[in-house]
Amino acid sequence: MQRTHILATFDEALNALRQDVLMMASLTERNLTSARKGLFERNDEACNHVIADDEAIDQLEKQVDRDGVALLTRFQPVASDLRQVISAMKISSNLERIADQATSIARKARKLNQQSELPEVSLLQPMFQQAFALFADSMNSYVQADVALASVLKSRDKELDALNADIAAKLTERIAEDSKRVADYLNLMFVSRHLERVGDHATNIAEDAVYAAAAADIRHTSERPPLNS
Amino acid sequence: MQAVIKPLSEAKPASAPENLRDERYIEVADFSFFYGGKQALFNVTLDIPEKQVTAFIGPSGCGKTTLLRNLNRMNDLIDGIHHKGDILIKGNSIYDPEQEVISIRKRIGMVFQKSNPFPKSIYENVVYSLRVAGQKNKRHLDETVERSLKAAALWDEAKDRLHESALSLSGGQMQRLCIARAIANQPEILLMDEPCSALDPIATARIEELICELKANFTIVIVTHNMQQAARCSDRTAFMYLGKLIEVGSTAEMFEKPKEKQTEDYISGRFG
Repeated sequence: MQRTHILATFDEALNALRQDVLMMASLTERNLTSARKGLFERNDEACNHVIADDEAIDQLEKQVDRDGVALLTRFQPVASDLRQVISAMKISSNLERIADQATSIARKARKLNQQSELPEVSLLQPMFQQAFALFADSMNSYVQADVALASVLKSRDKELDALNADIAAKLTERIAEDSKRVADYLNLMFVSRHLERVGDHATNIAEDAVYAAAAADIRHTSERPPLNS
Repeated sequence: MQAVIKPLSEAKPASAPENLRDERYIEVADFSFFYGGKQALFNVTLDIPEKQVTAFIGPSGCGKTTLLRNLNRMNDLIDGIHHKGDILIKGNSIYDPEQEVISIRKRIGMVFQKSNPFPKSIYENVVYSLRVAGQKNKRHLDETVERSLKAAALWDEAKDRLHESALSLSGGQMQRLCIARAIANQPEILLMDEPCSALDPIATARIEELICELKANFTIVIVTHNMQQAARCSDRTAFMYLGKLIEVGSTAEMFEKPKEKQTEDYISGRFG
């Protein structure tokens, strides 16, 4: 277990930064859940909540940046402390973008809810499931400093990419068969694309989690991080 | 106003190319040191590369100053000391009975925590070691003063007052004068024992900038309690604790990912 700093205010500042990131993650997960509810249960109120709550996540992102910069200037952290600050700031940026994807999904869902229900909506269920799991595991890898978990997320993101491509192909076929609902099918394709982006951001979070835990940079490489760190 | 911090492209003059640099310029080989019955260093083995800045860090009493002062046999002046192991400079033992201590120290300049100019003029401070060596050629002395003060980034401030008392200089200027004095004799190695601990941040920045410039010509070893100073100025960092060398490595790696838990705890302020 990591020892505490001699300077207690340093520990307090690091803890506050981490708590803000975890709060962002909770709100982002809630927004994704509400966006799914808005789409599958045709619930406009849930969609409106997602759009309204995005502002809180934006503000938290700015808070994390402010706290991170204050930590760097006040305490000049090094080693694992420095990595914690840098990864927290980068993760918060990815969380904000995931929340933006949730907002975009909610906006598309509201539009779809104005029309009769498309049976093809169900095609997105596995995408949601996979994107949620990726997001949850990326945050778990950060919280638990689980390098092994973080390092498998890249390959799981590729599965999500494949699902997106598959859905895009199926919906393109449907557009050719049913030209009256082009806008709705396109909205479904956008939702699929937003979920694919959630997977990309989750992968980024996992990469930052590996950097924080093991000081290894696994971005843009197929190398595995050191699992003993 | 002259900028204290230069642009990044100019910040660090090129030191010796890596393939030409002697990575074992100074070799500390299984070195132990004793003040009477008290052992201060325990089997320290460490290579110090040529024309690089190596920082010794560690809590008070860890042995970093003792190790530094052994590099030029300054500790010989203390009664009751003895050592085991060896220290070599360019492959030659500094403890070789055929080596004169004076000739070793001529090759090694030293700068201390508190600036210690002699109560003489700026000029006489710089040429002191040359005068002791019997140098009388005025032109040579003048050239040495200009070259040394320029190298110590003090020339512009001191050139019009060379014959004023050195004690009239500010604290930061006095420390730069001591650096000029230490390099006047053109040593190969510069030892610095907390050279900025008594200076304000601006004077500290000037000395740190100077250290980065001087490494083009000197092998520098610096003892510092200031972690950020070690991170800014040095190429390699050695962490010592209770007389033992715990870890040595590139400064960038040491401050991002130290290998040893004790190092991490110390540099991140978790010690004690």
